[in-house]
Amino acid sequence: MEQTVEPKKEKLLTKKDVVKAFWRWTFFSHANYNYERLQATGVVHAFSPILKKLYGKDEAEMKAALERHMQFFNTEPSIGGPVLSMTIAMEEERAMGADINDQTINGLKTGLMGPLAGIGDTLWQGTLIPILLSFTLPFGAEGNIFMGPVLFFALHWGIMTVLAYFLWVKGYEQGKEGIQKMMAGGQLNYIMSFSQTLGAIVIGSLAANFVKVATPLSVHLSGKESLSIQTDVLDKLVMGILPLGITLITYYLLKHKKYTPTKY
Amino acid sequence: MKISLIQAILIGVVYYLGINGTPWLSLVGTHGWMRPLVNGTVVGLILGDPVQGCIIGAAINLPYLAFISAGGTVAMDPALAGTLGTALAMAAKVEPAVAVTLAVPIGLLGTLIWVAHMTVDITFVHMADKAAEEGNIDRINWLHIVPPQLFLLLITVVPVALAAYLGADAVEGIVDALSGRPLDVLSAIGGILPALGIAMNLRAMNGKGTLIFFTFGFMLAVYSGLSSVPVAIFAAVIAYVFTELYLKDKNGGLA
Repeated sequence: MEQTVEPKKEKLLTKKDVVKAFWRWTFFSHANYNYERLQATGVVHAFSPILKKLYGKDEAEMKAALERHMQFFNTEPSIGGPVLSMTIAMEEERAMGADINDQTINGLKTGLMGPLAGIGDTLWQGTLIPILLSFTLPFGAEGNIFMGPVLFFALHWGIMTVLAYFLWVKGYEQGKEGIQKMMAGGQLNYIMSFSQTLGAIVIGSLAANFVKVATPLSVHLSGKESLSIQTDVLDKLVMGILPLGITLITYYLLKHKKYTPTKY
Repeated sequence: MKISLIQAILIGVVYYLGINGTPWLSLVGTHGWMRPLVNGTVVGLILGDPVQGCIIGAAINLPYLAFISAGGTVAMDPALAGTLGTALAMAAKVEPAVAVTLAVPIGLLGTLIWVAHMTVDITFVHMADKAAEEGNIDRINWLHIVPPQLFLLLITVVPVALAAYLGADAVEGIVDALSGRPLDVLSAIGGILPALGIAMNLRAMNGKGTLIFFTFGFMLAVYSGLSSVPVAIFAAVIAYVFTELYLKDKNGGLA
């Protein structure tokens, strides 16, 4: 089979550079996490070998690049990682002479970090971790170190790191067009809707299994009969209505009454 | 059991490693390490009984099952509850169920350490801004790692080591003083606490029909008795069908 290959400009970065940035991001993204700009210095740190390679000989370009990436940045680092690998692809194109200015880079970066953080946190902290914990915690409670903590730690680290690596490399390959395609709607809305629905159902089952509230109240009826509010009334009405109600009230207070978990 | 000074310092280091985003284990690694199931076992290992540490850690982990930290906010600190809670519970030889009620208030104190970390780090960002103006990328890299992590090491290891070293006797006294009704109240709170993590997760999801799907998942689990793994598989099918139909409708037939 014959393939026609478009003549391409020689790339400035190798796959090794891109992978190196991935590991820098994986380990150091939150080393200087702060309220003002969150992961900004983490981005610069992850990019620094690449920025040196692209702009090391041009001081003005280097300063501009540093200023560009010292801006506020915050995402969920594994599933939001491709925002950065796509940014690497844009920086490379820019260094190769393409017309990509600061606004384009920062606009796409900040436009995508929020939605991907939402998807990432839902799938990771909202779905994967609770599922893994609900599987391994019972083993831990029996003192089974291998099936409990060891398995949880290894599965969680392995699944997330492999997934993040795959997405990072994919993001670099897709580059600016990939970002624009995702921003245009279709794909992103699809993944978002899917993960929110999946997450909400799973979280519902966790609330059922792990929120423990019951009432010991009982009403004394004539003679020796007594009516337990929990087993004879509430459970017959809707099983689990107290834990469900408490969770929904907590949600309501957080969302609509501006309560925070530590302040009221 | 007496906790030696070296053991206390090591427990402090275990806590440091479980702070969201410390570099040693990677960000994802810290999210595994911060679970009391994991760090309780390590604390048990330090104190000479990893199996007991694992059992206590698993108990302390229950309220933090759906713990979420998003957008820089941390409502409670499972790592502090897991490390210090397990250490003190083992030293005072209390039951796992009582350990939970001790650990939950401890976990709330961890938010203070987190806020200090997130606030002081702003200073290093401003110093990095200056370095950026000079085009000095190596200095930004140094500012990104060394000062914030040294500061974090200080504010995590010192208080936890002191509390573990000095706290064991006090804890026995506290447990005696609280026995009876106060301890029942605390354990009831421990039972409700997963609701907070779950509610925070729901708020973070904030999607179309989140509460309806949540209620559906709840009812499915209550009446079928299925555990979360099979529920997740059903949920994936439902999410697929819903998303196909919902987006098809929204895009006028072009899903």
